[in-house]
Amino acid sequence: MEGGMAPAESRRAHRGRRRAQATVEFAVVVPLFLGCFLAAIDAGLWAVQTSAEVSAVEQAAMVAASAGSSPTAQTAPDARTVTDAVATRLRSALFGTGIASWCDVAADGTCLPDSEERCPSTPAEVQAREGPRVVVICVSEQDPPACVAPPPGVPAPYPPGCDDSPLVTVRVIGFVASLVPPGFGPGSQAFEIPTDISATTHTLRFAP
Amino acid sequence: MRRRRRRGADAQAVLETALVIPILLFLVCNFIALMVQVTVQEQLDAATALAAQSRFQASESALDPAGTQCCGAHGSAALVTAGLPTGCRYAAETFYGTMSMYTDMLVWQPASLCTSGGDSGGGGAPRRPAVAYPGSPANAEVSCDVGSVGAGGVVIPGYRDRALDPPAGLEVVTCAAATRIDFSKTPLGWGVFWSPTVHATAEALPPPFRQ
Repeated sequence: MEGGMAPAESRRAHRGRRRAQATVEFAVVVPLFLGCFLAAIDAGLWAVQTSAEVSAVEQAAMVAASAGSSPTAQTAPDARTVTDAVATRLRSALFGTGIASWCDVAADGTCLPDSEERCPSTPAEVQAREGPRVVVICVSEQDPPACVAPPPGVPAPYPPGCDDSPLVTVRVIGFVASLVPPGFGPGSQAFEIPTDISATTHTLRFAP
Repeated sequence: MRRRRRRGADAQAVLETALVIPILLFLVCNFIALMVQVTVQEQLDAATALAAQSRFQASESALDPAGTQCCGAHGSAALVTAGLPTGCRYAAETFYGTMSMYTDMLVWQPASLCTSGGDSGGGGAPRRPAVAYPGSPANAEVSCDVGSVGAGGVVIPGYRDRALDPPAGLEVVTCAAATRIDFSKTPLGWGVFWSPTVHATAEALPPPFRQ
């Protein structure tokens, strides 16, 4: 006899305690296991998405650096043209994420010439304008300073780099869909994580 | 006797949990680290490929005038490129501008920014390493083997790849970079005890009008 209980009662109490312990163990281990499992899946998903974005910005940079519609063009192809060139590649990898061009539209419906100031600086800026789980493609062109007459004794061209070809930067920025629940992760308001990937290159221009 | 056995079972369950949880977290951390390594490799490949191609956006005979410098990203000092081929600076600007992710956890292997005269060897020709241009910064994160036309019309050879158009080979531009990923600077350092080094080399053929 244990603690004054009959042997049958003691066995029942022991079985009950074992079941309770198993339930507690289960309740602790299952969320932990699921958390780890989802983290692993999400890491894989994120790697696939990031990899696609890196390939896309590389391709987009080459498109943007090319002469665009004309070898004498003096500005980069606009964001819509670049987006069209890489959207298919991105769509196949960015599950549940919208893709848009970041451009200010002129009265005739075309994108206004891109400049560095017009690109969003943070993924949150994209979210405020486009909503959750959207990435935008932004093209910005940085022109060199205008050449001026050099001071006496300083060789032309002046200032240094004034005769460079423009630098063009393509950015994929925004939030991509993920399994990270709202409230977790950097700046996440929905099932999403931020992304900001860019590629920069000099343009190929034949124009004077 | 039975009470002691029950206490033993409880202790065993606690021990099992205490063993399983760190192992599980360790596996997840290492899996995430592997994914980070894959994406760093992808970005390094893209940055070196764009860098090699951007060399051709400048004329072969263009040299940077005195006072020219570039880059200086990722907390490093600016690279002085005066007297070096402008295409080499273009390559560096492209590389530094593109390699913008994970910069806090990358430890770069410094190299000479502009080199010349490398030869892949083969077809009877010996393999020859590239040599740095005089005055080329030695602390760059990327190194590009570029040809140019120097002062007085002196032709400085680029990298000769003899696998292309053998046996004479074709003169191309190559860019290479190597970096170590230091996970100890991130929360992953808790369970990731390795620091992989990733390398990337890219080769760009001159556009047809230059061949």
